Amino acid sequence: MDELLAGIEQLAFVRVLKASFVAYPIVNALHIMSIGALLTSVWLMDLRILGAFRSLPHAAFVALLRRTAFAAFAGALATGSLLFSVRASEYAAMPIFFAKMTLILLAGANFLVFMRRAKGGDEPAGGTVTIVAVLSLVLWTSVLFAGRFIGFLN
Amino acid sequence: MQSPFKGLRSVTLAAAVILAAATVAYAHHGWSWTQDGFFELRGKITAIYIGNPHATLDVDAEGEVWRVDLAPPSRTIAAGFTEEVAKVGDEVTAIGHRSRDETEKLMKASRIIVNGKTYDVYPDRVPPA
Repeated sequence: MDELLAGIEQLAFVRVLKASFVAYPIVNALHIMSIGALLTSVWLMDLRILGAFRSLPHAAFVALLRRTAFAAFAGALATGSLLFSVRASEYAAMPIFFAKMTLILLAGANFLVFMRRAKGGDEPAGGTVTIVAVLSLVLWTSVLFAGRFIGFLN
Repeated sequence: MQSPFKGLRSVTLAAAVILAAATVAYAHHGWSWTQDGFFELRGKITAIYIGNPHATLDVDAEGEVWRVDLAPPSRTIAAGFTEEVAKVGDEVTAIGHRSRDETEKLMKASRIIVNGKTYDVYPDRVPPA
C-alpha cells in the first residue's frame, strides 16, 4: 500500500501537477464546481422526494437531478483523485480523509437502497424513502465538510 | 406521505451541529491559527515537500518531529528554496509562528535558514531586522 501511494506520487503527470502554478488551482476549481453541482442536485432531488416543489413533476425532476448528480460525482471523483495524487501517502494517513471516504461509501449504499425502493418510476412514498432522503442530505453534506477539513488538518 | 418537515428539521439540526464544530477547528490556511509572537525551531530536516497545495518541511528537534508549513510552491521557489538547496539531514532554523494549540508540533514559517543561507518565503512576515 505504501509503495502504491509513493508510486502514484512519482507518476509523470502527478509530478507536473505537484509543481504547477496553473494546473493545480484549475483542478481545484473544477473539484469545487463538481461538488457544488453534486450538492445542489442532491439537495433539490431529496427535497422533492421529501415533498417540496410539488408543482414540479416528480419522475422527470428526480430523473434529471439524478443524471446531474451522477455526472457531478464523476467530475468530483476525477478531480479529487488528481488532488489526492500529489501527496497520496500524506492524505491516505489522515483520519479525516478516511472519514470522508467512509461517508462517500455510506452515501453510495444509501443511494442503492433508494434505487431498490424507487423501482417503477412512480412517486415513491413512505417512511423508508423519507429516511433515505434525509440520510442522503446528511451524508452528502458531511462528505463536503469532511473534504474541506482535509485542507485544514494535519 | 408523512410530513416532510420532520425530516427537514433534523437536517437543519445536523447542519447546525456541523457548522458549530467547524467554527472551533484549527485552520492551516492563513495565519489565524498561529500564535502572535515569533517562534524559532532548530533541528534536522527529515522530509522535504515542495509542491501543491503548499510546501512543508518535517524537522526533528530534540527527538520530536515537527511539521513546518511553508508557502505555496511558486512562492517558496521564488524565495530561492528548491529541492536542490536542502536535503534530508541538513540543519535548519525555521522562524515564524507556531500553532495556538501547543499539543501540535506544528508551525508556519516565514523564514528558513539552511546551510548558511536565508530564505524568506513570506518576506512581509519576517521578524523586523
